[in-house]
Amino acid sequence: MLPPTPSLSLSANIIGLVVGIILTVIGVVFGFAQGTSVQFIILSAIATLAAFVWGWRYVLGQFVSQAPQTDEGPSEIRRVWLQFRPALIGLVAILLVFLVLSLAIENFFNIWNVISLLILLSIVVLTRTLGRQFQENRSAFIGVMVLSGLFSIGAMNIEGFASTMNIKSMLLFAAFLGIASVGQTLVALLGGLDLSIPFIIGAANVGLLYLISLGVPPWLAVILVLTIGVALGVINGLLSYRLQGQALIVTLGTGFAISGGVQILTSIGTAYGGNVFGTVPGWLSNLAAMNGVTFGMPFPPVIAIWGLIILILTIGMRYTVYGRYLYALGVNRTSAKRVMISELKYWVTMYAISGFFAALTGSLLLGWSGGGFIGVGDQYLFLTLAAVVVGGTSLLGGQGGYGFTVIGVLVLQVLSSFLIGIGLEFEWQQFIFGLLILPMVALYARSPHIRTQI
Amino acid sequence: MSEATTVSDAAPSQGGRSYPFLLVPISLFFLLLGLAVLRSPSLITSAGIGSAVIVATPLILATYALMAVVIAGRGTVDLSVGPLIGFVNVTLIQLHGAGVLESPLAVFAYAIAVGAAYQLLFALIVIYVRVQPIIVSLSGYLALSGLNLVILPRPGGVAPQWMADWGLGTSIFSPVLLILVLASVGWMLFTQTAFFTHLRLMGSDERAAYTSGVPIFVVRIGAHLISGCFAGLAAIAFTALISSGDPSQGTTYTLIAVTALVLGGASLAGGRGGVFGSFLGAINLYLITFVLATFNFGAVQSFVTNLAYGTILVVSLLLTLIIPFIQRHLRNFSPLLYFVALSVVALSVILHATFDYQSQGQVQPETGADQTVASSQMLTPIDREQIYVAPLEMAAPNQQESAMRAAAAPVILFILLMVVIAVFLRVAFSQSDRRSLAPVVAVVILALVVLGAYMMRYPGSPNAPPVSVEAE
Repeated sequence: MLPPTPSLSLSANIIGLVVGIILTVIGVVFGFAQGTSVQFIILSAIATLAAFVWGWRYVLGQFVSQAPQTDEGPSEIRRVWLQFRPALIGLVAILLVFLVLSLAIENFFNIWNVISLLILLSIVVLTRTLGRQFQENRSAFIGVMVLSGLFSIGAMNIEGFASTMNIKSMLLFAAFLGIASVGQTLVALLGGLDLSIPFIIGAANVGLLYLISLGVPPWLAVILVLTIGVALGVINGLLSYRLQGQALIVTLGTGFAISGGVQILTSIGTAYGGNVFGTVPGWLSNLAAMNGVTFGMPFPPVIAIWGLIILILTIGMRYTVYGRYLYALGVNRTSAKRVMISELKYWVTMYAISGFFAALTGSLLLGWSGGGFIGVGDQYLFLTLAAVVVGGTSLLGGQGGYGFTVIGVLVLQVLSSFLIGIGLEFEWQQFIFGLLILPMVALYARSPHIRTQI
Repeated sequence: MSEATTVSDAAPSQGGRSYPFLLVPISLFFLLLGLAVLRSPSLITSAGIGSAVIVATPLILATYALMAVVIAGRGTVDLSVGPLIGFVNVTLIQLHGAGVLESPLAVFAYAIAVGAAYQLLFALIVIYVRVQPIIVSLSGYLALSGLNLVILPRPGGVAPQWMADWGLGTSIFSPVLLILVLASVGWMLFTQTAFFTHLRLMGSDERAAYTSGVPIFVVRIGAHLISGCFAGLAAIAFTALISSGDPSQGTTYTLIAVTALVLGGASLAGGRGGVFGSFLGAINLYLITFVLATFNFGAVQSFVTNLAYGTILVVSLLLTLIIPFIQRHLRNFSPLLYFVALSVVALSVILHATFDYQSQGQVQPETGADQTVASSQMLTPIDREQIYVAPLEMAAPNQQESAMRAAAAPVILFILLMVVIAVFLRVAFSQSDRRSLAPVVAVVILALVVLGAYMMRYPGSPNAPPVSVEAE
């Protein structure tokens, strides 16, 4: 519809900059008045300025360059209705739910909940009005909107939600999920699925501890486990290459086999039947535990590792030949083949990477928990899929990227943290997760009507 | 795919559905059946088959539920079928506990209505919100499995009284079997309708179906409704099996049912799948578990089961890759005839396992005494020598058994002869270019039936088919 970066006039740019600086100054003054630490004030000042200028450029640009409205056609109200029908239905639905909840539950109607409601409503409105201007990165835009909305609602309603401790723990769990869904994203970009991830996670978790308990040096054991992970990924890729439509089932089958095989291996000669006991080395638990330290800074290194992975993958997929070829293959196999891109090579490589990161997640989870458990990866079976889907990577291939998945991971993590915060148990969380995935995907990943595909 | 169409063109008398894809499930079925019978002859007894029916029926029906929507295309693998079964199970138990659902009619109506209502919602979301079906099913999986735990936090509750003795599995003819047979027959009748043709067309190519005037929305809703009915029936069979409520057990059915569906030769891409294949796929999974249970792996039993599940799944998927090569040499494959031919082999294995092990026990009374002691624990591992030598052993039949053999011999010979001739004619028919051999096949088989009837009458024991002999 519109170019992604509309240009503004110089005066508009200057006005934006000035307003941004004024806002930042107000923020700084308030910060000093409240007596927060200097680093925090500087950080938030920079963030405010950057966010405002970015928003000014993108958001205002959409309105400036909008085409003049024509007077023909249906009446104004009818046109608005046609244009924003899903959003309006959503608005009414949210209002109704809020009304019912206020009537049903005592003390529900307080100021914080009203503000939360307003934030929710503004998310819906913004995604429909602005979201359609972002053709390329619409899902990312919506994801960021939902993320910020959820986070602000959580910070207002829940004591200690925005505390360093909680943010750290959210990032820690997001890092596990994020590393686990690297492979799922890459495979989904080719139009495949990898359901063996949770089984490889569990197998790596148990297998690593088993190797350590056998007396293998821990560093060697980790390398061994990661190598085996790659090997399993290669096997997955080779087996499913000719059966691409059934990749879901092939990987499920290999997953079953891997999980069973590793448990048999670890049970040989013991009477515990699949339970492995051993001590996790200190550096491994430091890597992933809550109280881990990265070069003297008080956060676990796994977050830094995840950050590095994000950086490498997003830049690599956007700017290197390998990344572009991957997208080319995902969009159209035939044309990719015409320019000499080997489908087999990429298919197997992506599954190998998936196996590697699954094994890495399993090893890191061993450091986090300190004990081997084959079922540690079970929740990742659907969570990795959900993260990919919520982020906006199409399961049909060729669309999306790891950056999107990161947003999906964060949304899921903040949501689950929020649900725990308001005191919901696991089963309710799962229920709400299930109900929320659908509208989130429906916001941006609707397929066209059949009559437009002929 | 062009080869598949030529096959169905060449055999219109088979209803156009002679899948070569059934080759793998049928072979696997008889392989596993033979192995299971050799390992533990108690499978082919009234109690053995009865318990097999009880245990396998929920899985078979869940596979049917998946099959109905998978045929509809768009990659509609309904991951939520397991939680849906669990949901019906859990709510059924809770409502029964509250004294609402008492009569069988109400329970059936409730289960089927809930299943159908859920699937209707599913179909409407797929059609009007236009989200990929796999995402809808993922969403349903999470939501329903959470909700199940809310409704019934831990396993418990009591099934309705009239359902309590269904799950015993002491006789073959239980109400659960009736449900299974009705469901299968219902689907077979459904395949004769134009609606089913539309469904398959839509599954293979939705755009082609739309342009040729198939009401695809109606067809999709119909497929989902049928799937919902199967899911409701599966939930009832599941409730009968465990006689209580269990919020988490149902979810495991998702993965197993998908596995069974694929083992049965259905295509997850849509357009291909049948009740026979799905049935065999589910039964195969049951047999795998059964065979593995006869080997005593002790603590690693469940791991070995997982390993075997996964390996067999992958191998059978890889075997579907060589089907085009098989097809090139075996142009006119008839799954029915293949099934009959292999079932004769399986029958002989069953007869051998049922009778010859017994006579072996009579020959060696001292080991027989040991066996009676050991028979209190159900599945003892058979020692190595017995596995290898037993099939070669000579039986020592007594008087009664010799008489029975004499009576059964002509029948068995006749059956073997008939199958061999039928296979021969079928091959000849498929190799020849002329399609007019079909009446000849029919006439020859008819003649053989008459001859067989005459032969059966001649030895003087008219009503002694081998099946009734081994059932004792």
